[in-house]
Formats: sequence, C-alpha cells, structure tokens
Amino acid sequence: MVVTARVAPEVVRRWRAGLARCIRCGTCRSVCPVLEATGDESGAARGKMRLVEAVVRGELDLTRGMQERFSRCLLCKACTAACPSGVPTDALIVSARTALARENALALARRVAFTGLRYRRVFEAGLRLGALFQRAVFRPAPDGPGRLPRIPLPSAGLHARRLVPELARRPLRALLRELAPLPHPRARVAFFPGCMLTWVYPEAGLAVVRLLRANGIEPVVPEEIGCCGVPAATSGDAATGALLAAANVAALSAGSFDAVVTACGSCGAALAHDYGETLADPAARERWRALSAKVRDVTSFLAEVGLTAPLGPVPERVTYHDPCHLARGMGVTREPRALLRQVPGLTLAEMKEPARCCGAGGTFSLSHYELSRRIGDRKLDDVAGTGAALVVTGCSACRMHMADGIRQRGEALRVVHTAEVLARSVDAAAGREARHG
Amino acid sequence: MADRDLLRALRQAVGAEHVLTAVEDRLCHSHDATFRDALPDLVVSPGSTAEVAAVVRLAAAHRVPLTPRGAASGLSGGAVPLHGGIALSLTRLDRILAIDVAGRRAVVEPGVVTAAQAAAAWEAGLFYPPDPASARMSTVGGNVAECAGGPRGLKYGVTRDYVLALEVVLPDGTVAEVGDPLDGEGCGPDWAMLLVGSEGTLGIVTRITLRLVGRPAAQRTALAIFDRLDDAAAAVSATIAAGVVPTTLELMDGATLRAVEAYLHAGLPTDAEAALLVELDGTPGAVEAQLRQVDEAFRRQGARDVQVAGSPADVERLWRARRAISAACGQLNPTKISEDATVPRSRVPALVREVGEIARRHGVKMVVFGHAGDGNLHPNVLTNRDDPAEMERAEAAIGDLFAAALALGGTLSGEHGIGCMKAPWLERELGAAGMALGRGVKEALDPAGLLNPGKMFTFGAAPVAPPREPGQTGWHAA
Ligand SMILES: Cc1cc2nc3c(=O)[nH]c(=O)nc-3n(C[C@H](O)[C@H](O)[C@H](O)COP(=O)(O)OP(=O)(O)OC[C@H]3O[C@@H](n4cnc5c(N)ncnc54)[C@H](O)[C@@H]3O)c2cc1C
Repeated sequence: MVVTARVAPEVVRRWRAGLARCIRCGTCRSVCPVLEATGDESGAARGKMRLVEAVVRGELDLTRGMQERFSRCLLCKACTAACPSGVPTDALIVSARTALARENALALARRVAFTGLRYRRVFEAGLRLGALFQRAVFRPAPDGPGRLPRIPLPSAGLHARRLVPELARRPLRALLRELAPLPHPRARVAFFPGCMLTWVYPEAGLAVVRLLRANGIEPVVPEEIGCCGVPAATSGDAATGALLAAANVAALSAGSFDAVVTACGSCGAALAHDYGETLADPAARERWRALSAKVRDVTSFLAEVGLTAPLGPVPERVTYHDPCHLARGMGVTREPRALLRQVPGLTLAEMKEPARCCGAGGTFSLSHYELSRRIGDRKLDDVAGTGAALVVTGCSACRMHMADGIRQRGEALRVVHTAEVLARSVDAAAGREARHG
Repeated sequence: MADRDLLRALRQAVGAEHVLTAVEDRLCHSHDATFRDALPDLVVSPGSTAEVAAVVRLAAAHRVPLTPRGAASGLSGGAVPLHGGIALSLTRLDRILAIDVAGRRAVVEPGVVTAAQAAAAWEAGLFYPPDPASARMSTVGGNVAECAGGPRGLKYGVTRDYVLALEVVLPDGTVAEVGDPLDGEGCGPDWAMLLVGSEGTLGIVTRITLRLVGRPAAQRTALAIFDRLDDAAAAVSATIAAGVVPTTLELMDGATLRAVEAYLHAGLPTDAEAALLVELDGTPGAVEAQLRQVDEAFRRQGARDVQVAGSPADVERLWRARRAISAACGQLNPTKISEDATVPRSRVPALVREVGEIARRHGVKMVVFGHAGDGNLHPNVLTNRDDPAEMERAEAAIGDLFAAALALGGTLSGEHGIGCMKAPWLERELGAAGMALGRGVKEALDPAGLLNPGKMFTFGAAPVAPPREPGQTGWHAA
C-alpha cells in the first residue's frame, strides 16, 4: 500500500474501476501487435492490467521494470476496441505511465524534448535549428528524399539505417500568410496542422489548404496553437499535456470558426475526446466542450459539406491504411475511402486488416525502433499484397514509419496523405501540373 | 546452490532470453482467465520438443513443479502455477507443420492459436469444426488439454473427436507418440484419449495431428423467441426428434435477453423467457429442408417469432444479441464470472429456473445462456470483484450452482475443465472409486507429482516443493 499512497486517490479509484471490468479473458492478446511480435505476456493489455492490479494490491512497486513494460504499447487502441468487457485499456495505460513517470522520471532525453514542446517558440526555434543541424548530423539518402543519420544515435531512437525526413525551414503558418483570402467562402474553419504537417510534411499541410480552398472553404491557422500534447501526455508527462491542451483550447476558442479541421488522427482525437481527460482546469474543460463538437478530420469534414471542386484523373492503384487514432480514436474509416473512390482513374485496392497498427505508435518508434519495424513489416507485407504503388493514409506518423520501412526493404512504394491525393485530383481538373503525391 | 544450478541449466537448455525471472513477468504468468493467482518462480518458454523434454528432466531432477500453459484463457485455473515453480509457456511452439489435404489432417504444434489453425484448414478447402468462443486466443494445445468444445459441438462433437495422434513429453522427460496419425486407432488402449482433457497433469503435448472434414456447402441461421422457457426446451427436443441436427442451438434466457436489450436497443422482447439461435449446415437442398422443419417445429411449440436470415448481413444481425452478451452484462455489474455446467437436455429448463432461485437466494445477478442442444449451459454471475462482500455471495452462488447441476443428473464441466476451481466438487461427481482411479493413473505417470500440482486429482495435496512467498524467490538475486 506504500506505493498507492503516492498515487492520487482518484487515480487509484479509476484503476480499481477499470480492473473490476477486466475478467482476464485475454481477448486483447489476440489483437495486440506487440504481443504478436514479441510473444511477451506483458505486451498485451491483460499483462499490463495484471501489473496495475499488483500495484493496487501492494504486490508490486511502480518499478522501472514495470515502466519499461508499459513503454511497450503502441496505444493503437486495438485492445480497447476489442475488449468485450469495456475495459478502458488505453486510458489505464496512459494513467499508469503518468504514475510511473512521476515515480521514476522520464528518460532524460524525452523530458527535455517535452519541456521544449511547452514553449511553442522555443520548440519552433529548436526545430528550425534542427532543420539546419540536420545537414550536419544527417547525410542525404543516396536514393531519394530524406536523410540518413551520420552518426547512429540509438538512445535518441535514431537508428543508423533509419530514414528521417528533412524538416521544413519555415512553418506552414508562415506559408499560409502569403495566400489571399477567398472572396465568398462557404465556411471558415480553423486548421490545426499539428507538428507533423507543420514541420515534417508541409507539402501535405499545403495540400489540405489547397483542397479546402478549392472547395470554397477558408482555412485559418490561429497564431497561438502548438503541439496537441499527445506525445507528452501519452508518455506520462501529464503536466505538459495539460498545458498544451489549455493553450490550444484558448487559441481555438478565440476566433469564431465553423469547424476545427485536423489532418492527423492523434491531434483530432485529442481535440475531440482526450482533452476531456487531459485538461485540469474546469473552466478550460467547459470551453473545450463547446469546441470538441466542431472537430473534424479533413476527410469527414469534406464528406459532410460535399466536394464542389471538379476532380481530375489520378491514374494510380492505391491502398488505404487506417491510422489507429483516426479509425479507433475518431471513428473515421469510411470517409477517406468514399472520397478516394470519387477520384477518376484511381483504383482503391483494400489490404488485409487495413486498420491494424503500422507499428509507429508515436514516440514508440523512437524508443523501440526494432520492434516497431518488425510490426511495420507485417503492415508492408499486407500492402504489398494489394499490388498498389501508392499507400494513402491520414496520419503523418504512419507515413513516416511506413516510408522508412519501405526504404529499408528497398521497395518502390510511396506513401502520401489522403489530402495530397485529393488535391492532386483537384489540380488535375484545374489543368495544373500535379505538384505532389 | 541447487537453484542457481537449475537456472543456469535452464538458460542453457532454452536460451537465456526464454527464461524470465523478473517479478513483473512472473506476475503476468500468475493467472489464467479466472481470478485465481499464484506466482511462478520462473517462466520458461521452450522452442522445440527436445527443449520441452530438457526442461521437464531438469525440473524432475530438481523436484520443481511445472505448470504447462497455452494462452491462459482457461476458465478453471488450469494454467495457474498453484505451487510455484516453473510456468512452462508453450506459445513459442506455434508452427502449423502440415495441412494434408488428401489425408484430411493437420499437424500442428501446441502453441498454434485455434483460429489460425482453423483458418489454415479452411484456406486449404477443409474444415475444423470445434469452435470455442475463445478460438481467437486459445491454443490448440490448451484445447486438447481441456477437451474444448463450442457451439458446433451438437453436430460436430468436441476437440476429442478430432484428435488422431499426439506427441507428448511425459513427466520423466521421455517423448512418446500416442494415437495414430492415420486413423486415430493405435494398438492397445487409446492412450491419446487419456491425454485429451488431462489439463497438463499427465504430460505435455508437443505435437498434435488433427482430423479435418469437408467444408459444408451451405449454411442458414434463424432466431426464435419463446414466451415460455419450457416451450423453448420442447422445441429443442422436437427439432432433434425430427432428425434434424443443427450445428448450433444457442439458448438465451430471459435475464440475458433483458440485459442485451438494455444495451443494444435492438427491439428484443423483454418479456420473453427464452430465445434460440439456430444454425444449420450441409448441402443446399438438405439445409433448406431442415430449415423448414425447424421453423415448423418451433412454431408448433409456441414460438412467438421465428426470423430467418436471408443475407450475410442478416446472419450478423441475428448473431448480434448473442455476441453482445458480455458487453451487455458489463453494464449491469463490472465483473462477469462465466461458469459451465451440463445437464441432460430435458433438464435444461429446470437448471435455468434453479439458477434464478440461486440468484435470488444469494442476492446476486445471474444470466444463463449456452448450448441448449447438448445441455451445456453457461450460467454467469455478474458481480464486482472490487467488492469483497459481493464476491463472497458470488462464490456461494457458484457452489450452489454446481450442487444443483449434479442433483439434476448433470456434470460439473461441460467444457471448461476442472483445474483447481472445480476440483473441490470433483469427488461428488466421480465418487470415491472414480477419484481413486484418477489418482492411481496420475501416480503411475507422475509419481513425483510435479506436473501441474494441485489440479484435478491432486487438488489439496501437499506441495512437493516448499511454497514461496510472493516476491521471495530462490532463483535470482534481483
Ligand atoms: C471468453 C472465453 C470464452 C471461452 N469459450 C470456451 C468455449 O466456448 N468452449 C470451451 O471449451 N472453452 C472455452 N473457454 C475456455 C478456454 O478458452 C479453453 O479451455 C481453452 O481450451 C484453453 O486454451 P489455452 O491455450 O488458453 O490453455 P491454458 O488456459 O493456457 O491452459 C489450459 C490447461 O491446459 C494445460 N495445457 C496448456 N497447453 C498444454 C500443452 N501443450 N500440453 C499439456 N497441457 C497443456 C494447462 O496446464 C491448463 O491446465 C473460454 C474462455 C474464455 C476466456
């Protein structure tokens, strides 16, 4: 009981309530990508729930061993969705990670990174510096875009062979400022690009903007929004997660928008659902509630308002990968497919288990690179089975992870964001040269 | 120190990474799908029959208990290492060695997941009928050890009916082949059948040859609602008397229907006493004819409503209620304890009523559903394991349930096995002579009593090795 005395009583209450639902049936074992790749009982939720139970019962401390095992979860929510008893496995794992982080302190490298995330300007400056430093630390990949680390930094998750995309030198927001406002927009939306579209795949961010504008929607990226906070919160740094959430809610509530559009399942699920848990301050939570109903993934938003821009041909055989947080976090699986099917010349070939995790798991791929690669290999095998030349997905972390795997395997596949395919189709109809994808 | 020697030898035998000593890993191997826990001292995962045999010999030499374990989805505590020692995980032995289409056989290792084996057979154009509800997690080895059944049991039988031959590592470490991979008929007694259902107490199954059958050409599904439970039971008897053997004949009692309707809002009647879900398979002509017979028999026995699925989507719709039971029960009370008890088919209504009585008597919530065709029912107690008083009432109710099943001429376990959870009632079912026979067989094969001690016939026996306190182990320093 020594340990639980150091965990907030309401947290212990939530653990007990969740555990009371767990009948240890092991259904989670049959869907867990980590268990499949490693065979470790502690990989799946049932093992993790047993460890939380041991802590509650005073059989186990919040040990480093437990922390290490809890880090081996992709938070893909496959177990949460499959659990016949409704155990909120994802929330319990995050909450245990928070307690473990408090007890054992996060690995130093990550702590520094998350502290940086709290201060948007510092973070942006850091990344900008990163973009410059990248040239020093990384060498260009011999066969195409992206860079390979010059020095292997396994502790930072930068495996020697790993493909890390180049960082943009200017954030998306700066690029947006140069666009003239639409004369008679159908709607005005706040676009929440998230870190990945701002920094790593700005071309996908621009595709979202082009796509929305072509359909008569005016996107605005509010000045003060920053990281959604998911990487920090899910790693157990609840304080940083809460700070970022509060800042974003304040920034998004300041203007009046018809919708908040995201193009990343993790950001979207955080804004639409998880902030209810993340936000500490009741007033902020109130403000968030009004906002949460307006959050839409770009594909569901477009499916809802309908495409008005004509679509031109994109003669490609593609397959669609369901990002965990888009499919199970936001419940968006049909909309991207429905939109892709409207593109002339495009063939959508479904892979086996399209909603199975690709192994990226946010920071998981940094801390458990080899394991995350192994899980990714199964995804890429399923992709290969479709004969598609292009993988379309709605999450840039999945994209980065799959692109890395494709390179490791020496395959010729490309991965793009759904918005890029649609923007390319719009461009084709407008007679413009397709810029991306 | 002997313990250190053992640890070193085990690491040598199976590879250091397959011997787990950390308390976190031991905790993760301390239970199955019941709430019984016991910490193993070590978790060992061999990668071949030879490695299994080496581990068994080492355990024997050091007098350390050994508890085999598949996916630990068992519902009677079978894989719980009650006396500590080694949790022997067999999940690394997960290869499908052969699907022999011409010979209609599958040869698999014990750690293969049931559904994966069934899918491989199906892809090869064949059919493996046993379908425990846990098929996506359970292992074939665990199915053999528990003689698992499933909804299709009525027509197709249970695991036992598909085992042709086994390779087993006996408690002294010798490797034996039992049964016959060609037709299942060996010379002399049917030793393979001695192993089927032995719950890891007599030997460790390391290879399984399974019989496969042809794929059914057609399948039809229907759902019937009955105002009265007795009518539903009569309908089941009438169906079987008419010579129709459905693959599946699932009963849901009134309490189950109300729980599911409160959860799904699917328009299920909350005043009905029973529903029957029927599945038929065979050649298209035969299935249609049988469907008509079932429909007629059900209506004659007073079915309020019979819905027949006309499309795959309909099939899903009709199964929805059955599949939603777990989640629906979770809304009533967080913890669902799934029991199984089998009574003669004619006594099904009596058992369902008895369960209602027991629930009232102990002030607990209970629902009953299960395989009505063969009388194998699953009474479930809905409780809260965070509430000790409520759990005590649940335990008492379960005790009464076993007594009621036996009094109705039934048996303790339809398919979930005995393990340690039902062992206290075993003598009441088998009688003194049956217990003596069982103990004699166990002693003959495992005189040192090291294999899965404390289960079935050795329940309550003194531990062979001195028990250790949780967290305190002699195997490792950390
Ligand atoms: C939700 C749910 C639904 C279920 N539905 C059904 C059902 O419909 N029908 C049914 O019959 N059961 C059902 N079960 C019970 C359980 O799944 C079966 O008993 C299954 O056969 C257990 O397989 P396992 O691999 O999980 O074995 P475990 O639980 O790991 O072990 C079970 C027993 O077998 C022994 N054992 C395991 N592997 C070996 C081996 N290779 N050699 C020797 N002994 C071994 C163990 O020591 C233990 O005594 C259900 C369980 C759950 C949780």
